Amino acid sequence: MNNDLLKLDKVETHIGQYHILQGVSFEVKKGEVTVLLGRNGAGKTTTLRTIIGLNPASKGSVTFKGEAIQSLPTYTIAKKGIGYVPEDQGIFAGLTVEENMRVAIQKDDEETAKRMDWILNLFPDLKRFWKKPGGLLSGGQKQMLSIARAYVNENELLLIDEPSKGLAPIVVEKVMDSIIQMKAETTIVLVEQNFMMASTIGDQFYIIDDGRTVSHGAMKKLKEDEEMKRKYLGIA
Amino acid sequence: MTAIVLVVAAFLLLLPFVYESRNLLILLTQVFVFSIFAMSYDLLLGFTGIVSFGHAMFFGIGAYSMGIFMKRFEPTLGYFFLAVLTTVVLTGIVSFLVGLLTLRLKSHFYAMLTLSLSGLFLVLAEKWRTMTYGNDGFTFRVPELFIDRTNFYLLCLIVMVAVFLILKRFTNSPLGRVLQAIRENEQRTESLGFHVLHYKIAASVMSGVLAGVAGILYAISLRFVNTSVFAMDITLDALLMTIIGGVGTLVGAIIGAGLIEFAHHWLTELAKEHWIFERWIIFFGIIYILVVMFFPRGIVGTLRTLSWNRKKQPAVKKEEKIAG
Amino acid sequence: MDLIINLTLNGLATGMLIFLLAAGLTLIFGLMDVLNFAHGGLFAWGAYSGLWIYSQTGSFIIGIICAILTGFLLGIITEKWIIKPVYGNHVQQILITLGLMLVLSEMLKVIWGPNQITASPPDYLKGSWELGGVIIIKYRVFIILVGFLIFTGVQFLLKKTKIGLVVRAGVMNKEMVQALGINIQRVFMFVFMIGAGMAALGGVLLGPYSGVIHAGMGMEFAILAFIVVVIGGMGNFKGSVLAAILVGLSGSFMAYYVPDLSLAVNMLLMAIVLIIRPQGLFGAKG
Repeated sequence: MNNDLLKLDKVETHIGQYHILQGVSFEVKKGEVTVLLGRNGAGKTTTLRTIIGLNPASKGSVTFKGEAIQSLPTYTIAKKGIGYVPEDQGIFAGLTVEENMRVAIQKDDEETAKRMDWILNLFPDLKRFWKKPGGLLSGGQKQMLSIARAYVNENELLLIDEPSKGLAPIVVEKVMDSIIQMKAETTIVLVEQNFMMASTIGDQFYIIDDGRTVSHGAMKKLKEDEEMKRKYLGIA
Repeated sequence: MTAIVLVVAAFLLLLPFVYESRNLLILLTQVFVFSIFAMSYDLLLGFTGIVSFGHAMFFGIGAYSMGIFMKRFEPTLGYFFLAVLTTVVLTGIVSFLVGLLTLRLKSHFYAMLTLSLSGLFLVLAEKWRTMTYGNDGFTFRVPELFIDRTNFYLLCLIVMVAVFLILKRFTNSPLGRVLQAIRENEQRTESLGFHVLHYKIAASVMSGVLAGVAGILYAISLRFVNTSVFAMDITLDALLMTIIGGVGTLVGAIIGAGLIEFAHHWLTELAKEHWIFERWIIFFGIIYILVVMFFPRGIVGTLRTLSWNRKKQPAVKKEEKIAG
Repeated sequence: MDLIINLTLNGLATGMLIFLLAAGLTLIFGLMDVLNFAHGGLFAWGAYSGLWIYSQTGSFIIGIICAILTGFLLGIITEKWIIKPVYGNHVQQILITLGLMLVLSEMLKVIWGPNQITASPPDYLKGSWELGGVIIIKYRVFIILVGFLIFTGVQFLLKKTKIGLVVRAGVMNKEMVQALGINIQRVFMFVFMIGAGMAALGGVLLGPYSGVIHAGMGMEFAILAFIVVVIGGMGNFKGSVLAAILVGLSGSFMAYYVPDLSLAVNMLLMAIVLIIRPQGLFGAKG
């Protein structure tokens, strides 16, 4: 057995009549941050949704800790140890910060309490607005709440979808710092358009274009590869 | 498909002259009337994706308008046309208002409002005794022209074919195409620049008026009207006919009307043998649930899919040839 | 004064019965986006089964329990076999629940016959009290108390328990609830069961209140419940109790002063709400 925590092999996903993913393959090693890059509409978000089972794969396989999970229901996949931070953060607007966390908590044990303490120390804002409805938080605070919620269970893998989207640069930095701190604790698959953030946090990268993984490698390499960046990411 | 309908229509046109059976004539007249009603329902459900649970109210408005005009005034053609006009105006106004109120909201609202509103009309018909004679209803005389069963049979047949052709035309027109686009994907249609609400209201009004026409013919065929025309059963009939026949096909509505009316007739006969057949609606209810679950496209839709699948290969090739 | 108090109590009691029906509708709608047109059928089944057991055993309490159990059972069957197969398709769902309504009410006629059945409260709830010259009918007070108890109970369930928390979260974002490792299907079934149980309870309580039950009662009350759901806001539990009381009271007073217009007034109320606040007087999904 190799040390791949997550492995996608030729995954294809249909949403309605649309063939969104047409062959996505990648491997995620334990303890690393893998960044999915690509243009808008390339299929990055769908890739994460396919892993968590919200848009199940129609072909190919998703393997997590050596077990095929592509046909399991979402809640079973989540319970196996995958946390999900969706693009829109998925905050329960009418529930307080505390209640948002409580929905997520699966076990009422010491380990969870420890993780809760750790993440709340990372995001003191959440503690400050503990009794405030999630809908009233600022964009950055919602992002923190969503990340905290995904982290609080003993998840070995976090799927984080565009955490920098719509945030002020100063808040982006804050979120970025916290993700860097979490790197020590867990494995992360990150979808990110903000190349500065992606290249700072990421260990390895995969580029998705038109529903296919077209290129991958170490993040360090991509930073220097101007042509690749221009071709797939539209940046130079 | 239209050709087949026209052939069948021609056959039905000749039927009363070659085969004299009063019962069959009356039964077929009912089938025609309910075909019109079911087609009006199909325009909503099948072509626009709107669910109405109060279609009986338009039917009832038509039936009562005719009944009241014939009873209060003279059973002449003049008053007949006046009653038709009244029906068109009333059903038009009611369906316009209902549409305006609910069609901008989720589909549940239209279903709910029509359901409750038709309940209101039922109560109105029960309580406004001076006009409607309450629950018991009243009999009335009809214009001389319609007294002859064969004449009336022919009238209903002609109206049914006319409604079929008009709706066929209508649903194939640019307006009808927009309606179907709404059914498939409302947001997309809206974003293409169509004012979806206007189109939906247009469908609602057209459907309401046609249902009123069916009610008129129904009342004349019975020469009697009572509160049952506003009852849920009438709406359910339309639902069953459209769903079982096949939504969005028009022909399906006609086939459904034929099936349900004949089965209804037959099961009523059987009820004399065993009481369980008095509860015939239970069979339809179960069939209906199964159809919705497993054959949501109904008889006509399912047949079309089957024949489409069989013809698919050559058909595609042919298209390629044309394209090439 | 006597009259006003009695009309008020009458309206409150009717309102509570409508509430028992509407609460399930609104909860199910809020969580699952399903408008269950068969809900009135569950109400009628509660009435028939409960009163039948009551007449067999002589115990009203056992009758009530039996009605609730019938509701639970039918709720589970409905969710599993009728709603779930067409989940996600609104039109199909609306159509199929109406078909179920049809079958449920016809089944009642097959089992218990097409005629209406009389019912009266047990001895300890019969009669009335006299308080300072005002005559108060016991059974009405009983209904109001039960309704209030159920409201408080469900409110507690929603606000103070984990499953209630999950239900509230599910109303806001179903996908996220699942992505947090919760089996939403089980939550659906739970809510459907509770909703059906409340409807059935409402049905069995209605029997001795109106004196007779008949197969059409499901549809009659369902229409009132739909009005309540619209007025109170689709998916709003608290709104449903307030709207139910409003509809109950307006029905009771109108039925006394202008009997012919009582349904019309409620319809008018609904039309006004649809025009000015389609999300309901008390807001949707709160």
